[in-house]
Amino acid sequence: MSPDARPRRSPRVVTPARRLLRLAATGLVAGGLWFGLAVTASAEDPTAATGGSPAASPGASPAASSGTATATASPGASSSAAPLVSAPPVPTPIAHPPAGDTNGCVDCHSAVNDKQAEISAAWEASVHAGADVGCADCHGGDPRSDQITVGMSTEAGFLGTPDRTQTVGVCGSCHANVEVMRPYNLATDQYAKYWSSVHGQRLATANDTRVAVCTDCHGSHDVRKVSDPNAKVFPLNVPELCASCHADARRMEPYGIPTDQFEIYAGSVHGKALLEEQDVRAPSCASCHGSHDAKPPRATEVVDVCGKCHTATQELYEQSRHAQLEQAAPKCWTCHGTHDVSQPGPRLFFHPEDPDYECSTCHDLTNRTLRLEIDRFANEADRRCDTCHHPDSQIYAQVQGIADALGGAEGAFEAAGMRIEDAARLGMITADAEVGIAQARTSLIQAQAAVHTTKLKLVSDLSTDARIKADEAQAMAVAKVDESTFRRQAMIVVLALIALSVVFLVIIKRQLDRELEGR
Amino acid sequence: MATGQTAGGSRRTTRWLDDRTRLAPVLAAMVHVRIPMTARTWYFGGIALFLFGIQVVTGTLLALYYKPTPEAAYESVQFITSDVSFGWLIRSVHHWAANLMILFVVLHLLRVFFQAAYKYPREVTWVVGCGLLLLTLGFGFTGYLLPWDQRAYWATVVGTEIAGGVPVIGDSLLLLLRGGSDVSGATMSRFFGIHVLVLPLALGGMLALHLVLVHQLGLANPKKPEPRVRTADNDDEPLRPFFPHYILDELVAWYILLAVLVVLASLYPATLEEPANILDAGHPKPEWYYLAVYEMLKFLPKDIGILAPIVGLGVVIVWPFLDRSPEVLARRRKVVVGGATLIVLALVFLTWRGYVA
Repeated sequence: MSPDARPRRSPRVVTPARRLLRLAATGLVAGGLWFGLAVTASAEDPTAATGGSPAASPGASPAASSGTATATASPGASSSAAPLVSAPPVPTPIAHPPAGDTNGCVDCHSAVNDKQAEISAAWEASVHAGADVGCADCHGGDPRSDQITVGMSTEAGFLGTPDRTQTVGVCGSCHANVEVMRPYNLATDQYAKYWSSVHGQRLATANDTRVAVCTDCHGSHDVRKVSDPNAKVFPLNVPELCASCHADARRMEPYGIPTDQFEIYAGSVHGKALLEEQDVRAPSCASCHGSHDAKPPRATEVVDVCGKCHTATQELYEQSRHAQLEQAAPKCWTCHGTHDVSQPGPRLFFHPEDPDYECSTCHDLTNRTLRLEIDRFANEADRRCDTCHHPDSQIYAQVQGIADALGGAEGAFEAAGMRIEDAARLGMITADAEVGIAQARTSLIQAQAAVHTTKLKLVSDLSTDARIKADEAQAMAVAKVDESTFRRQAMIVVLALIALSVVFLVIIKRQLDRELEGR
Repeated sequence: MATGQTAGGSRRTTRWLDDRTRLAPVLAAMVHVRIPMTARTWYFGGIALFLFGIQVVTGTLLALYYKPTPEAAYESVQFITSDVSFGWLIRSVHHWAANLMILFVVLHLLRVFFQAAYKYPREVTWVVGCGLLLLTLGFGFTGYLLPWDQRAYWATVVGTEIAGGVPVIGDSLLLLLRGGSDVSGATMSRFFGIHVLVLPLALGGMLALHLVLVHQLGLANPKKPEPRVRTADNDDEPLRPFFPHYILDELVAWYILLAVLVVLASLYPATLEEPANILDAGHPKPEWYYLAVYEMLKFLPKDIGILAPIVGLGVVIVWPFLDRSPEVLARRRKVVVGGATLIVLALVFLTWRGYVA
């Protein structure tokens, strides 16, 4: 179909005020599907999704871009993921004599030199010190002695500094122990989760000690609670913590992993909410990738991952035809991206001009079955309904129906919002109109969210409801504006009467003054 | 012919009334006085009186619909503003007249100060006038809470906190004002009671005394001091009738103020913010006439910042007894006039700073 033959959509001017209203209206929807999508889109296979996990393909460098979908989504691919290497057995906690009220280690080390004093001070401020977890719990030795030859002797069980491989076991010896953790109400599955992560698997299979271990994220002597804003693992600090390695091109170079995820995430709706607005409810890297069990979500998992936060939207999506497709199922990231999730809007329906259609976008040319070519959605400008749905197709008309219904409701909502602003600017109390537009907003959000069902009738019904409510709110606001106009007109009449009275009084006064002068 | 009949009827009615009240001599004594030709009042005091009258009328009308409980106050104000016929006008006029009343009472005080009209024999008139200023500020403070919206609530929280900072009696004062540890329904009850009962009665009484004193002592001559003993030499200043000449001027000023009120109420009607929310301190700022004190607290230690305005007010009240010089011309009172000007400018600056902060 030529561009001319294609049904035209009426252009709409988006003013800043309309944009604000649209943002407000779509905010909850954004808080639906678009929240929590920081997943690596090329995630059918976890090894491929990380740009070639070192565990599976060291040095491999697929053309993965962190902010875009790049791999072909093939549900069958998930079954090709390499089996996990089992976690090593949990070591037993390091045995040592009880320290009692003394701590010979700190007594000496705090006086050795500045570095040792800093270590001692860091430990004393840590969560471990508060829980009576002392030096010997990680290093062994006899904490009762203040003699180096006794306290740090091999006879006393002194182990020195655990190496990076040993570190996970040292931490796990307590943190995977249900009895030890019981008083603190802490989970004990971190150890198992760590070994299932891409970090742990790489450590287990290739003994790659460059991967993250416990102390890289939690610190060693200065371990703090996750709820401590100074902790590196405090939710607001997590993106920068991950970026400290993953944005380091030199460090990531052996693994072929892109290093722009943090930069892209920081510009996303999620990143702005977390990093700029300091909203700890917003997702960080760990929200989608996991923390101890860090790995990129696979295509078969992505809907559930996003659905952890966007529960209602997930339910709507699962009612859709999209969710029923096997070979060509668009997932959350197909339309919304991964690290670069942006504020959704009507732009997601169509390209400004018809795109170049290629059969291979949606079809496997070898057997003519449906299959989504994810590369077509790498660019945000191509994450549109008409990337797949051709203007000649019946579904395209349905999409247009959905877009028109929603556009009408959004237009009515914006118009009502502007009228209410006008009335408020005139000093009018607009409480009733604001109640009306709040109801319209609820219906509009429902209509916007219903787009995930791909059902035209549902979206149309909800949009009509939103439009009616918005029109009612607008009518109330217009009445306020009209009343304000009447007041101003009445004011002029009253002022004229006052002016006449003043003139009358001044005339009398002058007459009296003349009489007074005459006397 | 008809006019003559009307005038005759009016005279008969007046005579009938006077036969039964004997008030004609009192009224004549009140109205038919003479004032110095040189007197320049700028009508500030009369305007403040006019605004008080407006407040009594509009306040009474508002009280017909207002419900003084935290649960109902906000909605009743919303109802008055949105649904009651001309409710918006009455509430807006009450709002603006309250602000203008404070402004004109202060302007009146400044006029009297700079013209040295507080000096013999008007010292008591000055003290009573200062009392009227305090009562007017009390009206503003107690009335501000009544809409029970965010601005009202948090301005009252801040205002009562400042009062609570007064050394020695602060805690008791805070408890007395709030009727508890927080601004609550108890605070609203007492503020409403004080606003519509205590203050109007007190202000009405003091105002009557003030006017009687003004009537008895007459208007001050800003050109020369009042003689202790009147003689033929010092009693020759030209006079003019208070009624109807001065009253007509005053009436014109009232009309102009009425026009100002109509414009303000029409173009900038009294608004209403979100209902008071004790969890969201959205507007921790007092009303404009307390901003100078509020701002002063940012620069001075708390005790000094709170004591300074109290001591300052005390000095203002007793000023006629401190300034014993008979001189009235500003050019011969350079230190006093200069110092007062600086203080006024400082207060205006602090108010402006507080407003834009």
